Amino acid sequence: MKRTNIYKYAYYLLIPLLLGVSACEDYLDVNDTPNNPLAVTPPVLLPSALAGTAFANANELNRFAAVTVTHLAGAAGSPAAYDIYNIDGGVFGNQWRFEIYGGALVNYQKLIEDGEERGANAYVGIAKIMKAYTFSIATDVWGDVPYSEALKGTEFLQPRIDSQEDIYKGNSALGIQSLFDLVREGLADLEEASTFTPGSDDLVYEGDIEKWKKAGNTLLLKFAMQISRREPALAASVINEVLAKGPESYIASNTEDLNVRFGASVGSQSPIHTYTNVSSFKDELIVSTRFVDVLESLNDPRLPIFVTKPGADYVTVDNGFRGTLPQPVANWSRYNSYVTGVNGEGPVRLVTNFQRAFILAEAALTLPGVATTQTAQEYYTEAITASMELAGLTSAEITAYLDANPAIATLSGSTEQQLEQIMTQKWIAWFGNGLEAWNDWRRTGYPVLAPSQNAVGIDGTRPVRAQYIEQELSRNPNFPNPGPLSNEKLWWDVD
Amino acid sequence: MKKILLMCAALLLIITSHSQLWAQERTVTGKVTSADDGTALPGVNVIVKGTNNGTTTSADGTYSISAAGDATLVFSFIGLTTQEVAIANRSTVNVQMGSDVTELTEIVVTAQGIERDQRSLGYAVQSVNGDKLAQRSEPNLLNSLQGKVAGVNILGASGAPGASTNINIRGITSFNGSNQPLIVVDGIIFSNDLNNTQNTLFGSQPSNRLADINPENIESINILKGPAAAVLYGSRASAGAIVITTKSGKNLNNKTEVTVNSSVNFQNVYGLPRYQNQYGQGANNDYVNNSTNSWGPAFGTPGYATVINLQGEEVPYQAYPNNVRDFFDTGRILQNSVNIASGDADKNFALSLGSTLQNGVIPGTKFNRHNVQIGGNTKLNNGLKVGTQISYVNTGQSGTPMGNGGSAFGQLTRIPRSYDLTGRPYTNEQGRSIYFLTTQNHPLWSTENEVLDGQVDRVFGNFSLGYDITDWFSVTYRATADVYSDRRKLTLQIGSARAPLGQLVEDNFFRQELNQDIILTFKKDNLFFENFNANALLGHNLNQRRFQNSSVVGESLTIPQFTNVSNASVFTSSAEESSLRRLVGYYGQVSFDYNNFAFLELSGRVDQSSTLPKANNAYFYPAAAISFVPTDAFNVESNILSYAKVRASIARVGRDADPYLLNTVYVPATYGNNLASITFPMSVGSASIPGFQIGSRIGSNELTPEFVTSYEFGANLGLFQNRFGLDVTYFESKSTNQIFDVAVPNTTGYDTRTTNVGELENKGWEAVLTTSPIKTSAFSWDINLNFTRIRNKVVSIAPGVTQSNIDGDLFIGIAPSIVEGQPYGVIVGTANARNDAGEYLINPTNGLFVPGIAGEVIANPNPDWTAGLTNTFNYKGFSLSVLVDTRQGGDLYSFGAVDLRGNGSLAVTAIDRDQPRILPGVIDNGDGTYRPNNIQISAQSYWAGLGGLASEAAVFDATVYRLRELALNYSLPSGLLSKTPFGSVTFGVSGRNLYFFAPNFIGDPEVNTQGAGNIQGMDLNGAPNTRNYGFNIRFTL
Repeated sequence: MKRTNIYKYAYYLLIPLLLGVSACEDYLDVNDTPNNPLAVTPPVLLPSALAGTAFANANELNRFAAVTVTHLAGAAGSPAAYDIYNIDGGVFGNQWRFEIYGGALVNYQKLIEDGEERGANAYVGIAKIMKAYTFSIATDVWGDVPYSEALKGTEFLQPRIDSQEDIYKGNSALGIQSLFDLVREGLADLEEASTFTPGSDDLVYEGDIEKWKKAGNTLLLKFAMQISRREPALAASVINEVLAKGPESYIASNTEDLNVRFGASVGSQSPIHTYTNVSSFKDELIVSTRFVDVLESLNDPRLPIFVTKPGADYVTVDNGFRGTLPQPVANWSRYNSYVTGVNGEGPVRLVTNFQRAFILAEAALTLPGVATTQTAQEYYTEAITASMELAGLTSAEITAYLDANPAIATLSGSTEQQLEQIMTQKWIAWFGNGLEAWNDWRRTGYPVLAPSQNAVGIDGTRPVRAQYIEQELSRNPNFPNPGPLSNEKLWWDVD
Repeated sequence: MKKILLMCAALLLIITSHSQLWAQERTVTGKVTSADDGTALPGVNVIVKGTNNGTTTSADGTYSISAAGDATLVFSFIGLTTQEVAIANRSTVNVQMGSDVTELTEIVVTAQGIERDQRSLGYAVQSVNGDKLAQRSEPNLLNSLQGKVAGVNILGASGAPGASTNINIRGITSFNGSNQPLIVVDGIIFSNDLNNTQNTLFGSQPSNRLADINPENIESINILKGPAAAVLYGSRASAGAIVITTKSGKNLNNKTEVTVNSSVNFQNVYGLPRYQNQYGQGANNDYVNNSTNSWGPAFGTPGYATVINLQGEEVPYQAYPNNVRDFFDTGRILQNSVNIASGDADKNFALSLGSTLQNGVIPGTKFNRHNVQIGGNTKLNNGLKVGTQISYVNTGQSGTPMGNGGSAFGQLTRIPRSYDLTGRPYTNEQGRSIYFLTTQNHPLWSTENEVLDGQVDRVFGNFSLGYDITDWFSVTYRATADVYSDRRKLTLQIGSARAPLGQLVEDNFFRQELNQDIILTFKKDNLFFENFNANALLGHNLNQRRFQNSSVVGESLTIPQFTNVSNASVFTSSAEESSLRRLVGYYGQVSFDYNNFAFLELSGRVDQSSTLPKANNAYFYPAAAISFVPTDAFNVESNILSYAKVRASIARVGRDADPYLLNTVYVPATYGNNLASITFPMSVGSASIPGFQIGSRIGSNELTPEFVTSYEFGANLGLFQNRFGLDVTYFESKSTNQIFDVAVPNTTGYDTRTTNVGELENKGWEAVLTTSPIKTSAFSWDINLNFTRIRNKVVSIAPGVTQSNIDGDLFIGIAPSIVEGQPYGVIVGTANARNDAGEYLINPTNGLFVPGIAGEVIANPNPDWTAGLTNTFNYKGFSLSVLVDTRQGGDLYSFGAVDLRGNGSLAVTAIDRDQPRILPGVIDNGDGTYRPNNIQISAQSYWAGLGGLASEAAVFDATVYRLRELALNYSLPSGLLSKTPFGSVTFGVSGRNLYFFAPNFIGDPEVNTQGAGNIQGMDLNGAPNTRNYGFNIRFTL
């Protein structure tokens, strides 16, 4: 009796053991993640990449650049440091990592790789154009950066640093494709049939491929102008290449601007709106007295459209000011809805019609060999008009302003003086896009910016580049370490 | 009292023994004296061995007894060592009796619940009795272990109710895996996970789930320190194991006992810095009504009797010395528990109820826990052993967010000395905060309007069947489950600094762990020859862990104070994360014992894990341990060396990966941080636009398990009849093949890649010294001293990688890191620039430090050594236990200290404030020489110029000495209770954290804002600690 019991119980006890062994194969087959997709379609990749580019332009780098070009002044926190030219390898790490390389760029790269497999040529073309634009932000801010070997994951775990010259011009010996060629490739892709076609996921043009082509060509103009001081012949030839495609080929209307649109609700809003009007960091920035002074001195009708005036007068501070800040903060002058959108819709303006007209004005004025079809003056008027129209002024108001202020409306004096006029107007028009204003100021030196109060920085120099990210230096020995400081000019910044 | 009773008993013996006198007897007389002090010992029992012939010593210690000349006398007395003395035909036998020190034969619980004699173990296991943990003014079990165990590092996050507590045993062994030990409660693998709802830089310090255990219900805790001890538990025990046994009726000898504990404790905030009270709000000696600084005019400056605040009101300009202290409430902890237990080793039953109700010192914060546990074991008539136990716990926690900037604690370090924090209204008619900063909130408003609530419902239990098939072979089957849900709600009312439009988060966690073990045990004494005994064990384990976290994030609230998510108008960040992992394990152990003085134990385990690539998913790891007791082997009969044991072990434990690491995946796209952010799906115009982006981690399909190999050597010594005991261990561990997300340059498009790399090493000493300087029947004094010293080093990370962030939330420029050649967890930030002589470089134009150098190791949070000293005194019914401990060295990175120093709040900043100062350092002469800095700057520039948040100047030495715990109990004499239903009644007072001394820090350095986990040493505007004290009563029926 006892014996049977033993065997019986032992048998029962062993059942789970046996079950466990035999079911092992399936039992352990549970490691497919239910949380994340392993592949996605182009329409969900494109908007996240575009938003990355918009953040790269309009988030912290704009807080820095807008202060550096005295659109704004830093009242506290990091903008106050920027305002006395203090930047180091600790700032902009988020921009480098989350917005540029690990945000926009890697997703454009995925879009290109995956889109080419799927035959989604429309997406591939857009991605190449935007990849080129986003790389231009990286090189215009930091100079020599990883480019040709970047974004390849484990293939290049320590990507080479490509010189800014090679990035813009290409270097076939090193296998570096120029930004120009990258855009040209994108334009070619846009001519192809596409298995996927963008719609509302295209935060810029809602799927209008023709506008993307115009944006691509206009981007060529921007790149050409950016290197024009260093490489005037190349710049002229690229500009001529675009002009030869005819006026239909580039952005010629404000409705064709390359703008990233945001939404009106929390979590969908333009970063400029959030840090200007919502976040607990909003009182770190205030409009610069210098910007308001310039616009007031020019009687510029865009001032109340660009800058808020909650109180009786504009409440601003001078750049580098370190005294008691004006009170109450509710009356501070800040970015107006022209920049932020009424409820945070933005848009973030990346490549614009006025920019194109200013570029052609500058080219006509300064670049030998360009085949511009109009005079610098004509382009200049077109540019100011485009900017004012974008600000919402009627053509009657614009004409009235230009007629009443011939000293502003008319280019006069030496080439240098005319250039200063163009660049000053461009600097005003770029209100809300500090990076482009900073690019232009570094390239041309206009408008002439007086030093900030209490300037420190490196030898008191207004930054002409950003220092490499410390964390990146520690991860990639290809970077020079220590890297160049913020007072060392970039390759295209000849003077 | 006891002595009198004993004398009575002895008298009875004498009376009854008269009729049984032996023949050939002779009268032996003598005197019994104390070995301690030579005084006479009355009432000692003297018995002729083998008979019931006995007597007791009289008041002068003498005795007289009749006995045969070849007989042996046995002298015994409670509290003294029993002695046997041969008469050897003497007529006078004088004896000295020494205090009885418990033999160092202690039963401890080892892996898989195996009970073992301490002497047979080749590795260190430290046992802590439940009575050392109960009634200690502390509802968190882990905290009450602090200072009591060698080789263990325990650090609480703060004094916030339920705040998590970090525990590491013998250092850090994994780069990114959990380094918390495995917790086993009554055989149940018990989750000690910490689930975060918020970014840990800004969170409210949720509990780790060991907080669900009621400390009043603990029978004992056994800490298995090394992998050798824990290998049978498998992978997760590579960081050691804590085996908790709750109270059962096992040891009651068939009695029934009802135990009732009741206590009330109070908490005060403790560890606030010393503030100055001479200067008020402002800067550069001017009053500024929205300044966080106290660099304003001195109080009493003419014209500054009153000032206009930000609200436009005229308010007095004076010091509010207690403005920060008064923010805090007096906390209260009520603990009640009832235990009903009955039975013996075979059949027993226990029911336990517990309740803990805590209101913290931070207004509105709570930790409430209710436990029910029922269990029992029985042996059926047919021999089948059945046991089960089931527990239900409900734990509620309410906290308020902490962290830099937009939280109550982000503000508390920025309150000007002249700001009346608690004396004025702080909420306006619209329900918004009234404060001196417009983008921040009044701290009291924050505690009311920024709240994280959690409700944990947890069930855990076991079920076991056992059968002794023969007297040498038995089978046990055990199934255990541990399941909880944690329903969180984060409420950030409209106007919250971190979510100005308001935010509601419903965050639900579910976790389940199931285990099934079948264990065959074999036991054979005198296996091959006499006194050679063998035990063997074979086991099979099936393990499943399921986790789910789903959250609904509602933003942009409309109706004030309405906290249902239907009040939100934007839902963008809602998310789900689930995981399932399984493991199949086979384990075995054989142990041999020769004559109870030589022991050998061999263990091994094979695990097969679902989380590894199929080709590499099975891995084997072994352990071996030896123990030898020379005092027994060589029959050492010495009054000095009473006991000696040497031991050694070696083990290697494999660890699998976390689930789902094999692939690179896409994630919902988000951009930005607390400055500005977007989350997909975005709503643009009328369209809702989904967006995914490639994840920042590169997966790998070639992962293999990681391993920890450890060696351990130790000795246990018992001296002077074991009145002095020493347990010393040296250990080394080497972690290799770490499954780790190696940092890659962001220009690759990614941030990390998962791979097997790196080597991490720990070397350490731990020692426990126990002694009883005085042990008499009336009074005893026991000392327990433990010491820990661990040296950790990151030997290598990956080819070309010398530095990597620890997983987790971090501020830019302040990175808790893994750095080659450094201890684990060093903080990489901005160091001051120095010359070759190590002197700070000063900018000659302004007298301030030249810009610092980013990317330098500036802090090491690991202590040099720690020690705890417990003194226990017993006198009659009184028992006093005092624990002091210290942490030597280690750094703390403190935002609060920098804030308070830079904004002129600290007392030290008021000293000679009107005098210029000079920063320490030198000025570069440009020719390779330096001159001492002589540039005078204002006090404000000086204290701010020492360095800001992200700088070396935020690093402080965290050395601290602490009166950790004090408990005084009085038990009523049993004589008084004999006519009552009470078996025992004990009253007590206890206190925790009664005093500390931190020579190099402005407050209590024993905080870690980010809570339990691998990131340590960060005080990022978290809550301070508390001082607890209270009363308790305990009685049994």
